[in-house]
Amino acid sequence: MAPISAEELTKLALASTLKPCCQAATDSVGAPEDPLVALVGPPNTGKSTLFNALTGAKVTMGNWPGTTVEVSRGVWKSSSVSATCADGECDCAHCEQPLEISVVDLPGTYSLDPNSPDEALTRELLLDKPLAERPDLSVVTCDASRLTGCLYLVAQLREQGLPMVVALTMVDVARNRGIEVDATSLAKQIGCPVVLVDPRRRNGLAALAATVRTALGRPAPAARRVPVDADDLDLEDDRFSWISEAVEAANGASMRPGPTRSDKVDRWVTAPFFGPVIFLAVMWLVFQLTTAVAAPLQDLLGGLVSGPITAGATAGLGLIGLGGSWVEGLIVNGLIAGVGMLLTFVPLMALMFVLLAVLEDSGYLARAAVVTDRLMRSIGLPGRAFLPLIVGYGCNVPAISATRILPNAKQRILTALLVPFTSCTARLTVFVMMGSVFFGPYAGTAVFAMYVISILIIIVVGLGLRATFWRDEPIEPLVIDLPAYHLPTLRLTASVAWVRLKGFLRTASGIIVVAVCGVWLLQAIPAQPGGSFGAVPVADSVYAAGARAVAPVFAPAGFGSWESTSTLAVGFVAKEAVISSWAQTYAVEQPADGAAPGSLGASVWTSFNQSSGGHPIAAALAFMVFLMAYTPCVATLAAQWREIGPRWTLFGVGMQLTLAWTLAVAIFQIGRLLL
Amino acid sequence: MLTDWIFYKGKAILTFVNPGIDLASAPLGTPLTLLGTEVESGAAQRLASLGLRVGSSFALIAKTAGGGRVALVAGSRVALGRSLLAQLWAEVA
Repeated sequence: MAPISAEELTKLALASTLKPCCQAATDSVGAPEDPLVALVGPPNTGKSTLFNALTGAKVTMGNWPGTTVEVSRGVWKSSSVSATCADGECDCAHCEQPLEISVVDLPGTYSLDPNSPDEALTRELLLDKPLAERPDLSVVTCDASRLTGCLYLVAQLREQGLPMVVALTMVDVARNRGIEVDATSLAKQIGCPVVLVDPRRRNGLAALAATVRTALGRPAPAARRVPVDADDLDLEDDRFSWISEAVEAANGASMRPGPTRSDKVDRWVTAPFFGPVIFLAVMWLVFQLTTAVAAPLQDLLGGLVSGPITAGATAGLGLIGLGGSWVEGLIVNGLIAGVGMLLTFVPLMALMFVLLAVLEDSGYLARAAVVTDRLMRSIGLPGRAFLPLIVGYGCNVPAISATRILPNAKQRILTALLVPFTSCTARLTVFVMMGSVFFGPYAGTAVFAMYVISILIIIVVGLGLRATFWRDEPIEPLVIDLPAYHLPTLRLTASVAWVRLKGFLRTASGIIVVAVCGVWLLQAIPAQPGGSFGAVPVADSVYAAGARAVAPVFAPAGFGSWESTSTLAVGFVAKEAVISSWAQTYAVEQPADGAAPGSLGASVWTSFNQSSGGHPIAAALAFMVFLMAYTPCVATLAAQWREIGPRWTLFGVGMQLTLAWTLAVAIFQIGRLLL
Repeated sequence: MLTDWIFYKGKAILTFVNPGIDLASAPLGTPLTLLGTEVESGAAQRLASLGLRVGSSFALIAKTAGGGRVALVAGSRVALGRSLLAQLWAEVA
C-alpha cells in the first residue's frame, strides 16, 4: 500500500478548505486568545494517533475530574502555516504568528447519544457545558475507508452549529480499497472544512493547522436544518439521507469488488478455529515478553541498586561519619530500596506499554475482542478484558495499566478489581517454597491448585460484582467496527509507550517509595524503652509489636503467629520480599532455590505447626490462599490508584482482605478436620 | 419474530410479518437488506450509526470465533456478536 505523500495531502487539503487564510484574516471575527480544540471521532479512526502527532510528548494523561474517564491533554504548536495561503508565499501577520493551541483528546464515540460514561463525557463537554467552557473548535476524525459510519457523528454535530473541521484519515486504506474521496465536494456537502491527514506518517498536519487557524477566526457555521417537529425516527431518516448525499458527493461509496488484504488476514485471525489458536499464541508471546524478556533487565537494575549504588551510598555515608546510623538505614533501606523497587518495574512496564501500543496500532486488539467475546461474556466481561487478565499472571502492575484498552469506564473498573486475583509470578516463588515444605512430592499439585483457585475467584468475584454494583449495567452485544490492519510505526509506538510510562512513574513513584520507607521506619523504632532507633532487631521493633497485635486475627486461619503476620505485611509492599523477610525474621539464611528451603523451611514448618495447633498442612494451604487473594503489592495499588481512582482502589483492598481472610479461615477450619 | 397489528372486519388481529431470515441463518457473501431488529435501543442506535438500519443493504462476509459474523456495511467491516444475530432479520436483496 503506497502512502500518500505530504505534498499530495496538502494539495488535496488546500483544495477542500474554504478560503486561503489571509482572506480569512480580513473577515475574521477574532480567534480566541487561548483556544481549546477537542479531538472527537468514532473509535479506530486515528483520533489518538492524530493527537500524538499534533502534541508530541507534551501530553498529560489522566482521568477527567470527577470521573474515571481518561482524557489526554496537550499543546499543539505549529509554525508552518504560511504554506497554506493560495500562492504559498504569503507573509501576512496572520500567517506568521505561531500556532499554539490546547488540545483535548475526548473518548471515541459514534454518536452524541451516549451508551457509556466515556461517550457521555464527550457529549457533556461538547454540548451540555456552558458555552464558555466548551472547546472553541472540534476536529472530527473520519475514516475515509468507512465514511458512512463516521458521518453520523458529523451530522449530529452539524445540527448543533458547532465550529468544526473534519480530519479525513486512512485515505491510503480507502484508496487501496478502490475508494476515492473528493474532499472538496465532501466539504461543500457537509458545510465545514475537510482536511486529509495521515497522522501515522505526520502528513497533512500543516494543512490541518492552517484550516484550524482559519476556522477559529470565523463565526460558527449555521446549524444544519432538520425537519421541524420531527420525532426520533424522522430525525434519523433525515440524518441518513444527509449522510448518503454526502457520501455520494464524495464518491466514498465507490468500492473495488473482492476482499481486501485485511479481509484475507481476518479469514484466519477471527476464524472459528484458528482465531482462538492465534489469539492464544499472541497472548503467550505477550506473557513471555513481559516476564522472560523483562526479567534479566529487572535483575540487572535490581542488582545495580542493591549492589554498587547501595555500596556507594554506604561508603559515602561512612566517610561523612554516618555509617551504621539510622540515617544510613533510612537512605539505604528506605529511599534507595524504594527507588530500586520502582526501577525494577520500568523495563516491565515499558515493554508492556510498547506491546499494548503495537496491538492497538496494528488493529489486532479489535480482533482479539471478537475472538474472546463469548468466553468473557459468560462472566460478564467484554472480550478485551482477556488481555489484562492474562498479563496479570505475569505481573499485576502492567495488567492494571492494560485495562485502559477497555473503552467503557465501568468495564475498566471491574477488570482492574479482578486483576489482583490473577496469581503473579512473585507469588509463585512463595507457593513453590510452601509447596516444598508442606506438600513434598505433591508440591506441584499444590501450586497448580493455587492457579485453579485464582481462576475460580476471578469468575465468582466477577459475577458477584456484576450482580451487585453493576446490576443494572447491561452486557452490550458485540458490535465492533474492525479497522484495517496497519504495520505499527516506531515513532507512534515509542511516543505512546513513553507517555504511558511517564504517567505510571509519576503516580507510582511516590506511593512505592513512601511505603518502603514506612516499613523501614516501623522496623527501626524499638517497641520497648532502652532500644536505640535504627539499631533494633526486627523482633523487638514496633513493626513486630504491630504484627503481634494483629496476629490473633489470623488465629482462626491457623497462622496467627507474629512471624507469619509480619511476612504478610511485607508481602503487601512486595511479594518478592516475602521469602527474604521470613529469613530475616527467623534469622536464617535465605534459600537460593525456593524448592530447597533448608533451615528456613524447618523454621516455617515449626511456626505453622505451633500456630495451627498441630495442623500445619491445613494452615499452610490457608496461608497460600490468603497470599494469593489479598492485595498483591503496593505497586499494584499505585497502578490502580492511577487507573480507577482512590475510591475504587480502597474498595478493592477491602474486598481482597475480606475475601482472603474468609477463604483462609474456611480452608483451615475444614482442612484441620481432614489433614 | 416480527409482528404487526392488522384490522379485519373491525377487529385488530396480531399477525406475523414476513420476517425474512435471522442473520445466524443468512448466507455468507450474499447481498442482504435489513428488515427489522429486536435489539435494545442502545445497540440499535450503535448499529444505525454504523449504517446498519432497517432498509440498508449489507453482506455477511465471514464467520467468527464464538459464533458471530463480520458484516460489510457501507465499506465498514462490522463484527456482530452471536447474541445479536438472532435479533436481526434480513432478506436476500
